Amino acid sequence: MAEPNTATANDDPHGIRQDVDNPATLILVFVVLIGLALANIGISGAMGPTKLTLPLQLAIASVQAGLVAYYFMHLRQGDKVVILTALSSLFWMGILFVLFLADYLTRHMVVG
Amino acid sequence: MSASTHSSVLKHHFEDLGQQHACERLGMWMFLATEILFFGGLFGAYAMYRIWYPHEFELASSHLNRTLATINTIFLITSSLTMTLAIRSAKLGQRGALIGNLLITVALATAFMVVKGFEYAEDFHEQLVPGPGFGTHYHQEAISKGLDPAKIQLFLCFYYVMTGIHGIHILVGIGCILWLAWEAWRGTIPPENYSTVEVVSLYWHLVDAIWLFLMPLLYLAGAGMKH
Repeated sequence: MAEPNTATANDDPHGIRQDVDNPATLILVFVVLIGLALANIGISGAMGPTKLTLPLQLAIASVQAGLVAYYFMHLRQGDKVVILTALSSLFWMGILFVLFLADYLTRHMVVG
Repeated sequence: MSASTHSSVLKHHFEDLGQQHACERLGMWMFLATEILFFGGLFGAYAMYRIWYPHEFELASSHLNRTLATINTIFLITSSLTMTLAIRSAKLGQRGALIGNLLITVALATAFMVVKGFEYAEDFHEQLVPGPGFGTHYHQEAISKGLDPAKIQLFLCFYYVMTGIHGIHILVGIGCILWLAWEAWRGTIPPENYSTVEVVSLYWHLVDAIWLFLMPLLYLAGAGMKH
């Protein structure tokens, strides 16, 4: 394998500066996160408690959490095994929710 | 032999710094997976009772202080930004900026807890607590709307347990970030060791992300309700 560029290698022998975050990107993500938080609060207040309010609130929160994970937690630069670990936690939480909701939501359905 | 094998930061059992950093990140992500499942249990229990008693939960939520919760949301999101900027400073070897970003993060986290303290004090003052201290005016309000006051208190149990456990996570985070700032001040976080900052930041961002769900579930459930 070819050796890395000598000047770069001397300056940054471990390649740590190669994937440094761009501050403009981080600030843009920050502004979007604040905007979504305020939108969630504003929309919730305007809509009041309806059947659509909770799904909308959770959708906005999920987008926010996704932005945090992708940009702030660096999943966009993550190894496959890190991404797999992150997704597996959601997968297991999905199993948790499906199994206990299947139990509690069907208890009123008395058979026989 | 590659350049990355020549570093005082490199632990003897890793081949190079890249492998060491990847293992540190993976270890923290595995811990975060257990944390997600831990909070998943709480969210699951909340979901169940919210499905069963939606109107009681909405009424109880409408009495929480959304202004303070909004201020806290802004504090936490801003602290996530400064924590990510701290990683950048660590990678670039900017020791002063690293310490500065870490201390700003600690200040924002402390401000979050102070606001939370004022909020709890207000809730206790207004008798918005489950158990014998539960305000009779909330009891009467629920009865007048044809709702069960016990379920209002059930929501408050979720409110205190979920925000309390989240608050404990914030305190742990403050301790970890202060330790990082101390280590940075001692000069033990050179660019090669930036992953020490990164693993703490992963924890911090998860605490932030959990709040992003607590906010709508607890504070916005009753938003827009008229009393």
